[in-house]
Amino acid sequence: MGKISGRIAALIFIMVFALSGCANPSGNETEKKTVIIDNSTPEELYERALKEDTLVVYTVSTRVVDTKEAFEKTYPGLFVEVRDLRSPNLIEEVEKGSGRGTPVCDVVLCNDNSGEFKTRLIDTGIVIPFLPEDIGSRMKEDAADGMVSFLNEAEILFYSTKVYSECPIENIWELTEEKYKGRIYLPNPLRSFSTYAFCASSLDHIGEFEDAYEVYAGDKLEIEGTENAAEYFWKKVSKNIIFTNSSDEVTEALNDGKADFGWCVSSKLRLAGVGYSLAPVYKLTPFSGCRTSYAVMMTKECKNVNSAKLFIRFLLGEKDGQGAGLKPFCTAGTWSVRGDVPDGNDVPLSAIDLIAPDQQKLIDDKEKSVAFWTDILKGN
Amino acid sequence: MDTPRRKLDRQDMRKRKQIPTLTWIISILCLFGLCLNGCTPKEGREKLSVAIPESAHIQDLGNNYYINWLQEQTGYDLDIMIIRQSSGTGILDALFSSDADIDIVMFGEDFKITQEELSEYVSSGDIYVSGERSYYENTGSSKNSGPGQILWINYNWLKALSLPIPENTEELKAVLTAFKEMDPNGNGIKDEIPMAGSYEEYSLSPAEFLLNSFIYNDPYHSRYGINEDVNILYATTDEFRAGIDYCHELYEEGLLDDSIWDGNLKQLMEMCNSNQDIVGAFTTSSISDVIYQGNPEILARYIHVPPIEGPCGEKNTLYVQKEPEIGAFITKRSNKKEQAERLLSLMLTPEASLIARYGEEGVDWTYSDGSDVSVYGGVSTITTVNYIWDTSQNKHLNGIGPMNVPEEYLEGVTWNGVNSDFEYINGRAYMSYEDDLPKVREVHLYDDKLSDYMDAALEEFIRGKKDIGSDKEWARYLEGLPR
Repeated sequence: MGKISGRIAALIFIMVFALSGCANPSGNETEKKTVIIDNSTPEELYERALKEDTLVVYTVSTRVVDTKEAFEKTYPGLFVEVRDLRSPNLIEEVEKGSGRGTPVCDVVLCNDNSGEFKTRLIDTGIVIPFLPEDIGSRMKEDAADGMVSFLNEAEILFYSTKVYSECPIENIWELTEEKYKGRIYLPNPLRSFSTYAFCASSLDHIGEFEDAYEVYAGDKLEIEGTENAAEYFWKKVSKNIIFTNSSDEVTEALNDGKADFGWCVSSKLRLAGVGYSLAPVYKLTPFSGCRTSYAVMMTKECKNVNSAKLFIRFLLGEKDGQGAGLKPFCTAGTWSVRGDVPDGNDVPLSAIDLIAPDQQKLIDDKEKSVAFWTDILKGN
Repeated sequence: MDTPRRKLDRQDMRKRKQIPTLTWIISILCLFGLCLNGCTPKEGREKLSVAIPESAHIQDLGNNYYINWLQEQTGYDLDIMIIRQSSGTGILDALFSSDADIDIVMFGEDFKITQEELSEYVSSGDIYVSGERSYYENTGSSKNSGPGQILWINYNWLKALSLPIPENTEELKAVLTAFKEMDPNGNGIKDEIPMAGSYEEYSLSPAEFLLNSFIYNDPYHSRYGINEDVNILYATTDEFRAGIDYCHELYEEGLLDDSIWDGNLKQLMEMCNSNQDIVGAFTTSSISDVIYQGNPEILARYIHVPPIEGPCGEKNTLYVQKEPEIGAFITKRSNKKEQAERLLSLMLTPEASLIARYGEEGVDWTYSDGSDVSVYGGVSTITTVNYIWDTSQNKHLNGIGPMNVPEEYLEGVTWNGVNSDFEYINGRAYMSYEDDLPKVREVHLYDDKLSDYMDAALEEFIRGKKDIGSDKEWARYLEGLPR
């Protein structure tokens, strides 16, 4: 193992600190966690990986298939099996496998914003971060605080360019108007982590909803009862919403012209490249969506350790960030976690009206938020 | 479909033959491949001998949750004989030529039989008929009605060539031309097949799909109209002729592959699943008709294309209503017909059918509280906890045998969260096609003779054996139509 640079040492310190500081009642749990530091070269890992079995990757992103294909070309003799699941199902399968002592995979790629990934897989030590030194030194600092993020995205509002040549709204309250009934699509927040992160986080932005209403209506929002402006907004707009299983259905409805608007993950903007009729709403009062990110982690019971490390290196773009493994993720609607790799999206995250989810608050308020969204969904 | 399968079944209509002794001995050995459970029946309980096809999706028939449930409910012991063959008629011929003591034969997975084939066994007196019932149906694997033909296109090729998903016939032609000319699979060889198909099913023929961009084309109902036009043969119209002309143009330019007429389904599957990535587009009623299960990489290669608009703004979605498949029958020789009827009738109840489709209630699925979205976009009625369909499991028979899942549950089942799940992929495609379905679904009956004539004429026109541009040829075609 090579000498660890000062910056990396600081990064590792931050990660270990973050892990030990997790809000887990059991101190023993956090002690189980280990930050994997292995400065073996790709060549050394490859040599060892050739003696291992097929690498199993559980992912929430179909784009990993492209990474897998490039990986198998770059490292002949290594094989990757990809299982593509929605976040809640992925967490459940990984958790169950670990619980019964038969781990289902070696590497996990998951949306990490709702708090579920953290509480169920990270805090329990089922997945652990691996970040090689030569790549870690090039990552933005917030990309490795307790977990290794490999991609930034957003849950953001889109409009259908089949229906509108330019975005017809400026204020989120316009979506509550009768003319949009059945014309707004949203993935089920209880089944989509990125949607949950947005919907649940928005409930903490009451003042911004109130101010936006005043801009929209010209008067202050008067609400009877105990409801706040955020809750009122979602209850009202949900009458116009068609809930879906995933972002894919939202993009398809926008492309078909069945939807005027829809929230989905920003990386779906890449579909505009194959002619999908959709465009993001970057500017919206008070906000258009929320930031999200994706983590790549090893499972603690990983059977193919060297293959897993090699794959993660590959996915992170290798030392110079130019590796083929990261390329499938450098598309419109994505933002880089590395300082040396440009964003995939033309418009920077800072120029978009987005909120940042407070993950700990999401975890703390989970019961209340889930109850709120369950009521909305049943009412829909 | 509510009509016979395309050419294959009609050509291969089974004739009962004398079976050589050795063949039937081997067949019977295959039939009695395994004897489970009932080999040691519990004392005092009735025993029913049931032949069930082998399935890679069932771990242990001797201790299967559904089998145990059926035994518990009926009080019978089921003596399971595993069928190790996929030829429905071959094994039945062997069975009925032997003295095998089988009360019930169940169908499912690859072991299937058509109505026509079944009727021959009914005529020969091998199958027990009670009233009008000669078999127990299976209507529980998927939604019973909806879009019947979807166009799938190679997404990787579109990306590689920076091409948009085609929306109309002109764009489609441009995309297929680029597929042919621009080496989208990047191997330096012109091995791309822009649009492939098979003769085995109408839904596998892109030509049938493309005609729907000119006029409603329902080959499963002999290309008659729908709604109030149910007695008008659309295949005589100028629009239909323009559609054939378009298909001929594509064929002449090498964009429509000969496999549409010369290839069987197996060949189409091999082409579409090939690691060489050689197919640009194809059509099916379900993606699972062609793409192998458990192959997310290949699945990620193809995405559905919404209905293609023709030059006059026409676009239609073929509507199909599936007819129940044959789930099981009782043999005439059975001396426990009443018990067999009781068992099979139980399997058709919603309670049994839900186990047969989704597994153990409370463990594998629950009734939904309405807070989920179904795989077809509606409100959910069934929430799957463990999605076990088409996986190796021991909760049910994976669609083998009779079942009758109420439509509200088939349409209301939640997605299992697996992006490569066939039902989810199909469900999303169906949503894109639904708006272009005929509004009223009154249909004409299938006419064998007429369809055969039109199938042959279509092939000849598209492949250029006859000139679609010639008014004389077209008039001859119209004159020759069997009425």
